[in-house]
Amino acid sequence: MGWFMVVYRCEASLESIFTAIYQAYEERRDHEDTVLCLTEDPLFFAEDIRVIPDNFKTQKVVNTLNKRFGQENYLSLCMALASEDEDCAQAVYRTIVKGLAGKVGRGHLFDNLADDYVHRAFALARGVSTEIGHIKQFLRFQELENGILYSKIGPKNDILAFIMPHFADRLPIENFMIYDDLRNLFGIHPAGRPWYLLRGEEVEAPLQLSEDELRYQELFRHFCHTITVEERKNMLLQRNMLPLRFRKYMVEFTT
Amino acid sequence: MEYLAAGSATSLTEKLKVLTDAAKYDVACTSSGVERKGNGHSIGNCVAAGICHSFSADGRCISLLKILLTNECIYDCKYCRNRCSNDIPRATFTPEEICTLTMEFYRRNYIEGLFLSSGIISNPTFTMELICRTIWLLRNRYHFNGYVHVKAIPGAAPEIIEQAGFLADRMSVNLELPTAEGLRVLAPNKHRKSILTPMRQIQNGIQANQNDLVLYRNAPKFVAGGQSTQMIIGATPESDYHIINVAEGLYQKFGLKRVFYSAFVNVTGDKNLPALPGGPPLLREHRLYQADWLLRFYGFRAEELLDEKRPYFNVMLDPKEDWAVRHLELFPVEINRASLDLLLRVPGVGVKSARRIVMARRSGSLTFADLKKIGVVLKRAIYFITCNGRMMYPVKLEEDYIVRQLTQEKDRIRFGSDEMSYRQLSLFDDGNFTRPVTDVEQMQVVKGVI
Repeated sequence: MGWFMVVYRCEASLESIFTAIYQAYEERRDHEDTVLCLTEDPLFFAEDIRVIPDNFKTQKVVNTLNKRFGQENYLSLCMALASEDEDCAQAVYRTIVKGLAGKVGRGHLFDNLADDYVHRAFALARGVSTEIGHIKQFLRFQELENGILYSKIGPKNDILAFIMPHFADRLPIENFMIYDDLRNLFGIHPAGRPWYLLRGEEVEAPLQLSEDELRYQELFRHFCHTITVEERKNMLLQRNMLPLRFRKYMVEFTT
Repeated sequence: MEYLAAGSATSLTEKLKVLTDAAKYDVACTSSGVERKGNGHSIGNCVAAGICHSFSADGRCISLLKILLTNECIYDCKYCRNRCSNDIPRATFTPEEICTLTMEFYRRNYIEGLFLSSGIISNPTFTMELICRTIWLLRNRYHFNGYVHVKAIPGAAPEIIEQAGFLADRMSVNLELPTAEGLRVLAPNKHRKSILTPMRQIQNGIQANQNDLVLYRNAPKFVAGGQSTQMIIGATPESDYHIINVAEGLYQKFGLKRVFYSAFVNVTGDKNLPALPGGPPLLREHRLYQADWLLRFYGFRAEELLDEKRPYFNVMLDPKEDWAVRHLELFPVEINRASLDLLLRVPGVGVKSARRIVMARRSGSLTFADLKKIGVVLKRAIYFITCNGRMMYPVKLEEDYIVRQLTQEKDRIRFGSDEMSYRQLSLFDDGNFTRPVTDVEQMQVVKGVI
């Protein structure tokens, strides 16, 4: 490690981080002495560079990653970057450096789990992917007065963009929207049209549910209650499979 | 007997309760095995891995709307809650009710699809026709594109079963009891042969359909998610050895996707059924599932796990550990050189971690710390592996010693929270506080008495 570190200060967005990676290569930095940082924590003996997101540079990086590591690995990297952990940018950056230097084949970026950064990026991607799975399982829609399906979620990581395609494929003829409670972010899908994200809008309070909505919620609650085999009761197993933090958004656990 | 007739004042809620209650002892609630994208104009898609949407208080997943079409039944199977001599409320859904429920639940992301079974009304063929009509309606009138699992009713006409197969993603015929003898005693109206006939028919149908699909890419798919079955465990005196042999036979000869095991719950109180004061034999069911996984994914054969002389699974050790301590001549296994097949046989190494080991060791030799990152469960694996010729700790390769280490939680090598270092002994956790389990107790656990 050299005397002097270079710190790229990024925002927690794909564009900003990919731009920083492009710049690190463009400016021929020694990767061992380069850090991608999402926070403002000061580092001594380091040169701070503020990254300005750049569409062109981002696109170059995206293309390279797709070409060199394949689509699946690229998606994993994006998932790692959606993580709430602050070291995600650094882990992904160094994983990419390893991959490009080591000439790994397509789909083999995460093979070398013995490497600390590769393992970290892998673990982050896995964590996010698990949460995506959880939200796909436990998200609940409510039908509003005007027939729109509305859902509120509160995920740890910024995963709305990963779950929208799943529901858009599943419910193509429905108008639905998913609201990320913690990030004030809407995913909106108009029937028969492509979905999009909307940031910073306010929800018009309070939402009017449709006539049948409460009836179906009640039916489903009865169903969940009746399907339980009393003799096998195992609340611990239930809690392992369905963590409590999801329950406040689920109709069968709220009244 | 109270009847809940269709169209009367009985609410949908009551019906749903009765018919869910009647269906809950069926185990299969998987929505896996089919990958189908949405088609843009109907509701639904399928994900190969399956999605569980909720978990009930018994910890089992709720993935499908699991209901009976009706709980009326002409049969009198001793173990079944819906037997005709049982005095319970009866109800029947109309096909439209089932379709509406499925669609409305599915839209709200409560469920992944429909699981439809039924009691037998008048005769098997008629019942199968009703089921078939319901899912036809669901697919073609309500345009449902999600997962559908239906029962094939033993004794129904083959044409109807075939028709249902083209509409459903998965079909299942319940074997109910592992032997023909048990079936004769407890389910006098069912016969081994009549159960295996539709199973064979579906197997042949899937086979023929695969050939068709090679020729015509858009040929309609027949039971794309494969077929499954279930056996009741602990109602009849079969041994574990017997049961996994039957399961292995079903996988090999009938090409089944899954065999489910259902710990027997005595709901009818019939005199021919065992009383289980300690609750259903859940541990035994758990061991059978573990063995089932070993058969399907780890390359084990049934006769390797158990034999005539030891017909029950070890209560203290899981089947893989049990096998490993009896075959110490194969161990320790060198992680950096062993073949994938051999890695799969090491306790604490799963399918994923075995594959990851094979990938990761291409970039350099692995250490125990790396194995931890990869996801190997070291507290089980360390007795059986070496990294670069060394074991993690000095371990005696001796059956008694390893069994003691694996079973006595308090006695085993003490790890810190990182599983990589010894833990400091404290004054208060005396390791030798437990007494060994006796043979009698072991049998009692197997039979579900304790």
